[in-house]
Amino acid sequence: MIERWALISGLKGDLDTYELIQKDLKKTPGNITLFVLGDMIGPEKNCNKLLHRLINPKSNDLQPWCIYGWWEEQILLESGYRGNQRAEALRINKGEEVVKSLINAVDKSFLDWIAALQFGFVELDCGLIHGSSKDVGDDLTLDTPPLTLLDRLTRLQVNRLFTARSTQQFHLELTEGILNSEVHDLTGNHKKEQKVPQKAVIGVGAGKNYTLYDVGTDNTQFVRAGYQSEKKKNGFGLHF
Amino acid sequence: MNQAVISCLHANLPAVEAVLKDIELQGITNITCLGDLVGYGPQPNEVIELIKEKKIATCQGCWDEDVVDGLDACDCSYPSQIAERRGHFAHQWTTGKLTKENKDFLANLPYSIRKDKCLFVHGSPNSQHEYLLPDMDAFAALERVENAKAEILFCGHTHQPYIRELANGSIAVKVKNSGSKDIQKKEMNLPMRRIVNAGSVGEPRHGGTKATYVVYNDITNDVKIREVEYDIELTCKAIINAGLPPIFAWRLKNGFEFAERAEDASHVCER
Repeated sequence: MIERWALISGLKGDLDTYELIQKDLKKTPGNITLFVLGDMIGPEKNCNKLLHRLINPKSNDLQPWCIYGWWEEQILLESGYRGNQRAEALRINKGEEVVKSLINAVDKSFLDWIAALQFGFVELDCGLIHGSSKDVGDDLTLDTPPLTLLDRLTRLQVNRLFTARSTQQFHLELTEGILNSEVHDLTGNHKKEQKVPQKAVIGVGAGKNYTLYDVGTDNTQFVRAGYQSEKKKNGFGLHF
Repeated sequence: MNQAVISCLHANLPAVEAVLKDIELQGITNITCLGDLVGYGPQPNEVIELIKEKKIATCQGCWDEDVVDGLDACDCSYPSQIAERRGHFAHQWTTGKLTKENKDFLANLPYSIRKDKCLFVHGSPNSQHEYLLPDMDAFAALERVENAKAEILFCGHTHQPYIRELANGSIAVKVKNSGSKDIQKKEMNLPMRRIVNAGSVGEPRHGGTKATYVVYNDITNDVKIREVEYDIELTCKAIINAGLPPIFAWRLKNGFEFAERAEDASHVCER
C-alpha cells in the first residue's frame, strides 16, 4: 500500500473546503495521513464549526493531525496564553477591527485545544511546520535565499521541510554546493570543505490548494480540492 | 587603523585592567565591547564604572540582560543542575551588588553595534544566548553573517577566541512551482564572510588562563588574537571573599575549558 501524506493549511474556518478535501482524499489511492499545518482559524468567518469538526472527526473522516499556525498564535497572544504579550503585530498591520474579528470568530471553549497544539511535527526525515523552525511567522518562499532555507533545515536536522506560511505551492531542492571554512584559533589553522546536503523545502499551499507527498518515492503532487477528480483524466497534478 | 574588540569581562577587574593596559600599549584608542560585563566575577560595579569611564562602546550580553530583567538564564543554558544552581546564585549575588545606576546602564545597552561592514553582537545576530562555535555548520554560520547584512561579524559568548573565514561558496537549487511544469535550475555564488570571536577577558574557556581579545585592522582586514596575563590570584581571592562559589576561582586558576557550557551549545534559549 502506498504511504501518502496530505498536507493542508489556511482553512481559516472554511468547513466547506475541508469537506471537499476530505472527499478528495477518500478517492486518492494509498494509505493517507492528513496533516493540517495551521491557520485553521482566521478573522473572516466563524471558525467554530470547522474547529468542532477537526476535534471531533466524522466516522468516515481521515483523522486530522493539527499544528498551530500564525493566526492561532495571534489569538493565543491576544487571549493571554503567552504571558503579557498581545497580538501587537496583527494589531499594527491589520488594525484593531481585525483583532476583534479574530476573537469573535473563535469560541473561547476552543482556546485550550488550540493552546495544546504542537509547533510542528518531525516525521521520518521531514519537518512539518507552519512557518519554519525559526518562527511560526517565518514566510519561506521560492525567493527566500537558499542560505536561509538551508539554515531552517539545519536547525531542525531534517532533509525535507514542509511549510505553509507563504500559502504558495512550490518545491525547492538544494542539489549541490560547497563552502570552504578556515578557522584560525590559538592552536593553529583548521581548514574544512563543507558540501550542501540534498535537502528540499516544500510549500504546501493554503485553502483549496494542498499537497500530496508520496513517502516511498519522495514525490510531491500539488492539488486543488475538487479539481483532482474532475480533471484527473487530463493529467493535472504536478509530480516532482 | 587598529581597533580592539573585547568581550565577556565577567566582573573580573584585574583581567579588564590588564587587557585595557595591553590595548593602550599598542596605541589603540578604538575599543568595542561585546557585553557580559557582569556575572561569575566579584567586581561587577567596578568593571562597569571602568567601561563607563573609558567611554567604550558596548553591546548587551546575556548576563547583562538577565541581571537587569530579573530573569535567570533557563535550564538549557547549563550543563548540569548543580551548574544551574551556581549560575542562579551568581545572578542573585550580582543583582544584589549592582547599583541602580549600573543596572540602568546595562539595561540601556544596545543589542548590536554596526560600524560600516562590521557588526558587533554578544552571541549572534539572532540572540544574545546563541553560541557561534568555531565548528558550527559552515552554511549556518555564513547565514548568520549574511542575513545580518555584514561582512565581518564580531561575537563573543563562547569564551573561545577564533577567526573563521567562509569563502568560495556556491549553492545550486532546482525549483518547481504549481504554476509551471518547467523545472528551473539556479546556481549562485556565496560571498566571502568572516566571523571573529573575541574570546573572553574575564573568564577564558580556551584551555588557557590568559585573558583574550582581538585586534582588527580595518585597512588590511587583519585580525590578531591577543593573550594577556593578569593577576589571577587577586581575582580568585576576591571570588572567595565575596562568597561566590569557589569553583569559579578554581576554573580561572586552571583555565578549565568547558566551564558552564551546555551539552548542546548550539541550542538557542527560547525563554
